[in-house]
Amino acid sequence: MIKRTLYFGNPAYLKTNNGQLVIEMHDSGETKTAPIEDLGLLILDHQQITITQALMAKLLDANVALVTCDHSHHPAGLLFNLEGNSLQSMKIQAQVEATQPLKKQLWQQTIIAKIKNQAVILKNQNQNDKFLQALATDVKSGDPDNCEATAAAYYWKRVFPEFLDFKRERFGLPPNNLLNYGYAILRALVARSLVGSGLLPTLGIHHRNQYNAYCLADDIMEPYRPYVDRIVCGIIRKNGKFLEMTAAMKKEFLSLPAIDVKLEGQKSPLMNAVQRTTASLAKCYEGKIRKINYPEM
Amino acid sequence: MWVLIFFDLPTETQKDRKIYAKFRKDIMGNGFQMFQFSIYLRHCSSKENADVHLKRVKKILPPKGHIGLMCITDKQFGMMEIFQGHEDIESPETLQQLELF
Repeated sequence: MIKRTLYFGNPAYLKTNNGQLVIEMHDSGETKTAPIEDLGLLILDHQQITITQALMAKLLDANVALVTCDHSHHPAGLLFNLEGNSLQSMKIQAQVEATQPLKKQLWQQTIIAKIKNQAVILKNQNQNDKFLQALATDVKSGDPDNCEATAAAYYWKRVFPEFLDFKRERFGLPPNNLLNYGYAILRALVARSLVGSGLLPTLGIHHRNQYNAYCLADDIMEPYRPYVDRIVCGIIRKNGKFLEMTAAMKKEFLSLPAIDVKLEGQKSPLMNAVQRTTASLAKCYEGKIRKINYPEM
Repeated sequence: MWVLIFFDLPTETQKDRKIYAKFRKDIMGNGFQMFQFSIYLRHCSSKENADVHLKRVKKILPPKGHIGLMCITDKQFGMMEIFQGHEDIESPETLQQLELF
């Protein structure tokens, strides 16, 4: 089932009663309730939101990803439960003991899927996608030639219209802000699914920055990034150069969990597809299968 | 898809009232909300999801009393007209996957 996304951009008091999320809106004085078990993602994006500890505990218990935003409305942190799966310790054991060759193969599959999806985006933007298509077939186990970086350099130069003079930098000019926002939402979704599949989002297959707490989420979200890029392309088409974040743009990003994604020839919402990806990853670690299920655009 | 629960439970003895209060609390804990006295409803995103909730309610049925369970589609639910006195009021909204508050 596709879980609900709730976004709070106004003052509110959030508490729990009877296992439900109770929302007291500050301005209108309205009270609404939502069943916690139906929720997947909760985004808190206002300085005057109050949330009770009992509610947080219940959200974590239901494996809801709780995202808090900073003063500039960008996602700042995620909150997850420690016990997302009944076979937790067995799965984590398998994850920790994964061999280097296995990890390298998984990384190869990830990069191939990512480059292929990037190629589709370029094609949609009426750019030549032949280079990336060819590159995708050249990726070796562990990506020793760093095809990922070659693809990224080629991709970012062409994906957005020329007038933007785009450079992909973390804190760069728009539309970097849009990309960051979308990726942060995606990261929360992926990290949530990883926890749900009994894996530790901290131990990556390729990313291993000691300061990064979500290495595995960053690995697994790679092939999904182009879906965010596609949303950003759409926003640029509508807004031209004016790319300060607006409520309408946020709404487009927040629809991310529900967009249709093709996985193994089947269409499903992105949130469910991510769950299938992480489930297949857990099986790879356990040696049951050799292929991660990644979406194709 | 909407799931509706209609119930009439005995409230003569203290024990009956206790069972009644527990049942009411339990269904609210499953995400049902009061629509009118003794009529509770819940929106479910799919038939399968509705089945889950029907099953759960069937598990906690009180020993005595009359209880009706019904599923209707969003379209049928949307055709309902609700009044407060003579005034037309809005029926509960269908839940969306994404909601902004």
